[in-house]
Order: sequence, then structure tokens, then C-alpha cells
Amino acid sequence: MTFELLEHPADIGFRARGRTLAELFGNCGHALVSIILDSSAIEPVQRVPLAAAGGDYESLLVNWLNEVLYAVDGRRMALGAFDISRLEETRIECLAWGEPRDPVRHPGRVVVKAVTYHQLKVARTAEGWLAEVYLDI
Amino acid sequence: MAEIRPVAIDAFRYRIPRDEALGMRTDVVVYASAALMHHIRKDQSLAQAMNVATLPGIVGSSLAMPDIHQGYGFPIGGVAALDTEHGVVSPGGVGFDINCGVRLVRSTLTEDQVRPRIKELVDQIFRDVPCGTGREGRVEIKPAQLEDVLRQGARWMVANGYGDERDAAFAEAGGALDSARPAKVSERAKERGGPQLGTLGSGNHFLEVQYVEEVHDAAAARAMRIETGQVVVLIHSGSRGLGHQVCTDYVALMNQVMPRYGISLPDRQLACAPARSQEGEAYLGAMAAAANFAWANRQAILHFLRGAFRRVFGAAARLELIYDVCHNIAKRETYTVDGRKREVLVHRKGATRAFPPGHREIPADYRSIGQPVFVPGSMGTASWVLVGQQGALDETFGSVCHGAGRLMSRTAVRKGKDARHEQRKLEEQGIFVRSESRDGILEELPEAYKDVDEVIEVVHCAGLARKVARLRPMGVIKG
Repeated sequence: MTFELLEHPADIGFRARGRTLAELFGNCGHALVSIILDSSAIEPVQRVPLAAAGGDYESLLVNWLNEVLYAVDGRRMALGAFDISRLEETRIECLAWGEPRDPVRHPGRVVVKAVTYHQLKVARTAEGWLAEVYLDI
Repeated sequence: MAEIRPVAIDAFRYRIPRDEALGMRTDVVVYASAALMHHIRKDQSLAQAMNVATLPGIVGSSLAMPDIHQGYGFPIGGVAALDTEHGVVSPGGVGFDINCGVRLVRSTLTEDQVRPRIKELVDQIFRDVPCGTGREGRVEIKPAQLEDVLRQGARWMVANGYGDERDAAFAEAGGALDSARPAKVSERAKERGGPQLGTLGSGNHFLEVQYVEEVHDAAAARAMRIETGQVVVLIHSGSRGLGHQVCTDYVALMNQVMPRYGISLPDRQLACAPARSQEGEAYLGAMAAAANFAWANRQAILHFLRGAFRRVFGAAARLELIYDVCHNIAKRETYTVDGRKREVLVHRKGATRAFPPGHREIPADYRSIGQPVFVPGSMGTASWVLVGQQGALDETFGSVCHGAGRLMSRTAVRKGKDARHEQRKLEEQGIFVRSESRDGILEELPEAYKDVDEVIEVVHCAGLARKVARLRPMGVIKG
């Protein structure tokens, strides 16, 4: 498990870590997908380019995760891997891999409405990076 | 931040005085009993209501209803009126589920007729009304028709065979806001939400088969044509992915443009822009279109529900819409504030409009009793029918509570519990539950919520709304 769930009175959050910032963003992507659906059987057969911009790491993470959410909830893709090719403070470029959502192989868990700025945290730690993100469900 | 100490005004009202050092432009007024305030102080909802008081152009107080709990930016159960000329509009003040709301439907059946067949009925509804977590909706529309849905809301559904004329007339705003501008809704929002038209959604969305347990106001109940023992259905849903994406798009846009308008706020989730700015007006047009989508969605659900009742009870079983109210919306309304008329943009985030008797926006059938308000409790307890009172117009910009308000987080309530066991416990109480997911049942268990009766007591005694009837659940369909 690359993330842990955080409590919120009405909704849900997660804490993810990474040795590098790119690994952190990738793990946040995994966390979001795993909260929405059962991600254990996703085949990486189709690629989905995901890019986002933001004023700082926090808004970059929110904007990027909202891109992931749109791919999963809007384009109905189950995403299982995130190859991040470029990551700066204000820009991320990534190739996500997955397959069209299949209700049998990737049963839905919860509908996530959005990724929020509520108590959002992106921070350096002794081991690398940590992020805390809350979702509206 | 130092500890927040709300000061009791009376038995049902508290005030948090304006603190200029925190950038507050006004004070906060919370409607709560001492017992509810004890719970409210445990999360960050009061700090969020104080942050709302920093919004430029706020008129009157930042208000909190007794079901207030921690949200994102705005607290859930928060109300704020912003000056339409000099104030801002905040997508977070409406929420990600634009025009999330409830509609109450009366049936021609009684509890005695439905209870013996409740499992069959709930299973049939579960088949006919998609939740939308795995399956898509059953309303097939072309992209051009989606534009019409966004413009005409429930009226489009009725015109296209998903209901009768009466249905649209008995929804807030007639089931459609004329200010909708579908062109301001992104293609993404349309792509994400379009296929979900006619689905319930997950989280706290549900459909409940209930019966009228007790009537508190006979005249108002008569006007709504409900009586003790009658079966009614409460539908709680919103604008699905379309509304979520509209909010996401505009929170991102407003975070970008806020510095240009010289606005700085304590929480990025409150992102806003002047209501009269290009961005503010675009959001309001998109929000209205998403609100119309939500009314269309609840109308489609009612249509499928009618089919389920007919299949189980035959053609004689009829369902009629009592009323439909939204609890996540921003609306232009006019109020008398400090002796003068002011047009304001009332942000209701988890709050229901509650106009008093005589208001011209109430359908003629209900004008003498006040606007019907429906307040769902948790799935094991009760829901309430209320009518708006003059106090709401005088004090809360025509607003009242929207639910019981959460007490426990979703993760906390799940801990150590087994869904099948909890389902059986509810069945022993006469409540049959079907859910798309096991977690869905556990997360919405009654103990996760405050006591809805206590919430209702506060708004009743404070003169914001009056009790009409208490409803008890028999069958629950959850996403």
C-alpha cells in the first residue's frame, strides 16, 4: 500500500509518500484511483497523456489529480501506472497506463466528486516527500 | 487560531463576534442548541464559517445552520449573502455537487400495503434506478439534446416523456433557472456528466421509501395531501459529474484570477471572483446550467421510480411530486437589510431555501402554508417535512438546514463493523437496505449522524421553519 486513508467528518483523505517528487505524484495518482475502484487487476494496455500546470506544488498536485479524476470518471479509464516524464514546480507531464473501466474487473468503490485544497499538504521529509490530500465524495 | 468561543444569544442562537485581525468583515451567527454546539465545536466548521465572513461584499452575518459540519472552504450548513454589485461569487460556496437536493413524492399506497412487499419493491427500484457507480444512466441523449437539458432542466425531461407537466411546476424555480449558459460549461463537464443523467450517485445520495409516521401541522399536511400511514418516497441526488466538473473548472479559474482582483483569502477552497466580473458571470451561467441538469436528473429518477412502483403494485399505484428543493446553490434574491432593499447572491451550501407563507415564488397550492422543506435524516432514523416561516426571511436570507449533519467520519463509522450484520440490524427495525457497495451501507449508518429531531427542534423553535410531518424509512437504495 503506497498510501493511508485520512479521516474527515464528511469525506475522505489520503497521505502518500515518495522518495522523489515524481514518485510522490505517482503514488497520489494510485491512491486516488484505488479509492474510486478496485485497482488490483488493471492491465496497462492503453496510454493516457496527463498534463497539468499550477502556481506551486500544492496547486500543481490538485490540478494534476483533477486530471486523473477526469480520466477515470469522465473518460471511464482505469489507470494503473503513471510514468512521469517531466515535473517542475509549475508543470507536470505524464503518461498514464490503463484500460477502459470494466465493472466486473474493476468494481467501483466510491464516486469522488473532486480533489480539494482543504488542509492540502506537500512537504519534504527526511525520507523524501509527503502529501496529504482530501477528496469530496 | 485561538480557541473559538461562540457566545449564546438565546437557547437556539450563538454569535462569534467579528475579529478584524482575522480579516472578518462581519460576525458569525450559528443556529444551535447547547447539545448540538457541543458537537459542532469538535470539527473545523466554525473556523470555516469565520473564513466565509472574510469574503468581500458579504451582507449581514455569515450564517450556520444546526446541521453544520466541516466541509471544504465553506462549512456544510453554511449560508452567506453577497452583494450582487460589489460582492463576490464563490463556487466553493455552492459546492461540488451543484443543486444537490431532495424531492418528496407521495404515493397512493399505505404502509400496510407496501410493508409486506418492501423487499420486492426495493429490489425493483434498485434495478430500475441506476446508482451510477458502475453502470451508466438509462437516459440516452445526443450532445445537442444535452444543451437543451442544460437550458430547460426538468422541463425538458417532462417535454420528452419523462414525467408530467405538474412535475416541473412543483420544483423550486419551476425545475429550471433561466440564467443558464450551457456554453460556459466545459466539454469535459458535459462528457463526464452527460452519460450519468438519470443516476443516483454514491456518497450520501439515496432513495428512500418512507411512511408518514406523525403529522404535526394538519393544515399544511392537507395542502401537501399527505396523512399518517401514507407511503412517500424521498429522492436525494444532484448534478453528478457534470456539476462536479463545473465546480472544479471554476475553482481552478478563480484561484488564477483572484490576485488580479486584489482578493486574498485564508483558504484556497473559498476561491472567488467579483459576481459582476467576466469569470463570476461565466460561473453563474455554468452553475445554473448544472443546476438544471440536477433537476433533470431527479426528474428522470422519478420517472424510473414510477415504473418500478407500477411493476410491483400495478397501474393504480400513482406517484405525485410534492415538491423539489435544492440545498447547494447560489441565487439572486432581494431582502430588506437594515431597513433597505438589497439584491444579494445567497450562497446555500448544505442549506435549503425556506420561504414563508405568501411568497410569490411558492406554487399556488402551498402559498398559504409556506414553502415545503424536506430534511433527510440518516437511513435508520427519520426525515422531516417542514414549511418556511417569516423568521427565515427576516434572519437567514430565507434559509434553513438540509439534513442531520455528520458526526463521525466515514472511516471511523466503518471500523469494526460488518455490513451484512448492520443490514440485518436495520431489517429487524423494519428498514430494508440495498446498496451498490458494502462500504456505502456502513458509512451512512445512523450513528454517523447527529440527531435529526434535535436539528429540527432548533429551526422550529427559532422560527425559521415549522414542523409538518415526521417520516420513517422502510426501504433504502444507496449508491
